[in-house]
Amino acid sequence: MGTATGIIRALNSGIKHIATKRFTLRYPEEKLKFVGDGYQFDPSTGVGIAGLKGRHMLFHDHCTGCQLCSIACEGVAEAIAMVKVPDEQTQNKKSIMPQIDYGKCVFCGLCVDACPFYALYMTNDYELSSFSKEGLIYTPAQLQVKPYVAQDSEIIISDRGATHG
Amino acid sequence: MTAELPPGLALQKVDERIMTLNVGPQHPGSGHMRIVVQIDGDYIVACDPDPGYVHRGEEKMAEYRNYITNIPHLERPVIHDSCNVLYPYVLGVEELLGIEVPERAKYVRVIASELNRCIYIMYWLAIYGIFLGHSTMFMWPAGDRELLIDLMEKMTGARVTHAHFVPGGVRNDLPPNFEDVCLRQVNYFEKRIKEYAAVFYDNPILISRTRDTGILSRQDAIRLGTTGSVLRASGVDYDLRKKEPYDVYDELDIHTNVMKEGDSYARSRIPWLDMIESCKIIKQALQKMPKSGSVRVKLKPNPKGKNETVYKRVESGRGSLGCYVVSDSKPEPYRVKLSVPSFRNLIALPYLLKGEKLGNMPSVYWSLNYWPVEADR
Repeated sequence: MGTATGIIRALNSGIKHIATKRFTLRYPEEKLKFVGDGYQFDPSTGVGIAGLKGRHMLFHDHCTGCQLCSIACEGVAEAIAMVKVPDEQTQNKKSIMPQIDYGKCVFCGLCVDACPFYALYMTNDYELSSFSKEGLIYTPAQLQVKPYVAQDSEIIISDRGATHG
Repeated sequence: MTAELPPGLALQKVDERIMTLNVGPQHPGSGHMRIVVQIDGDYIVACDPDPGYVHRGEEKMAEYRNYITNIPHLERPVIHDSCNVLYPYVLGVEELLGIEVPERAKYVRVIASELNRCIYIMYWLAIYGIFLGHSTMFMWPAGDRELLIDLMEKMTGARVTHAHFVPGGVRNDLPPNFEDVCLRQVNYFEKRIKEYAAVFYDNPILISRTRDTGILSRQDAIRLGTTGSVLRASGVDYDLRKKEPYDVYDELDIHTNVMKEGDSYARSRIPWLDMIESCKIIKQALQKMPKSGSVRVKLKPNPKGKNETVYKRVESGRGSLGCYVVSDSKPEPYRVKLSVPSFRNLIALPYLLKGEKLGNMPSVYWSLNYWPVEADR
């Protein structure tokens, strides 16, 4: 193949792509769709349930204050601290619950694997940016709130190429 | 005072024709490293790669963490290839703990590691393209990589640094309907990467820039201990997936791509051919995978290893990646040593650049499939 033919072929290949659809996800306007409600773990079988590893969700009525999540995080990111909570739960004698610093968290989910009481899960919420370092520290009361995550586009593959529909 | 100085510290004779040039560590074309190049006019006389700017002490950190909490930090050296970096460690720890992995988990691991290999190579290819001034080859791989990152996100819950492999299997089972989505996106991905041939690999401008530059002969490739795509581009048929099959690679039909030229062009083409091969492996694995079953063996908290040493290696996106784990019956390993392909391939750089033009340096350097963070660990 001659030089001129090769260059024309390369240009032609580029020009053909004018007809294909745009693949870019227009992020703040459209958001990706995820599978499931976030990463969860079933301690009875020892296997997780697939989902995005995003912000945590803490169930106050299950948490016993056993500190296993905090111990699991010690060797990873030291993001979890056990803090006193005002509300009294019968199963939580010491009234301590995890507080998570998302400035340190690496979203590995090992704390979720460590929880034997179905109290700590991860959610699809990934938009955690804040103007201050303190804003990244989530107290047990904040972790209790189920986040609303917009999920509107998925990868769709058609004859004219892939696109985030 | 005429004490003999060691060779590295001796003063060099100044030659008025030779100029010493520091490329990096801030230069965008060098990665996180410095390449000290001595040039005579436009020709490189000598070259001394100087890695070590991103040393993180991963191996030392591993001595203070138990076998499970080592996982998130050991995959950090190559975040785009995190499953493959973790693979030898996980295989080694499984042998130390005496665990047998379920069949389905082995297939899930193969799929995850092949997807990760493609993600890594696409990132590498994007940078290789922009190094050579081919901005289309930067945009296309960076965009098409999204197809596979989306699959990894569905599978593991994270776009990079998945922390998916654990001793005893994988963290979670595949999401429902994953096989269909995976097959559809991998088929489209394979079609897309084949289109790169016309715009990049068969492009006469790329061929004239990379053909016959930085030639590594077959003997030199073996003698210098290079691995992976660099070794295969020099005509040595060596792929650990075939030579030392781990997990279920012995049940899959794998073809090794070998080129004889040993120049920059061959070294840049081999990873692309590997990606097409990876797509075929993923499709085979999806077909042969058991449709149900456990994916993880339940471990005791803080498992203790036997009093043994173990060395395991896998074929990563860059070549053979080994992990040596020494255990002394404690929950923490006594020593973890990573033998990384990037460092082994970097050794070839001074030999390849000697006599080349300075303008060819980026194409030769990045064709070595080098990842600075991995070499420094």
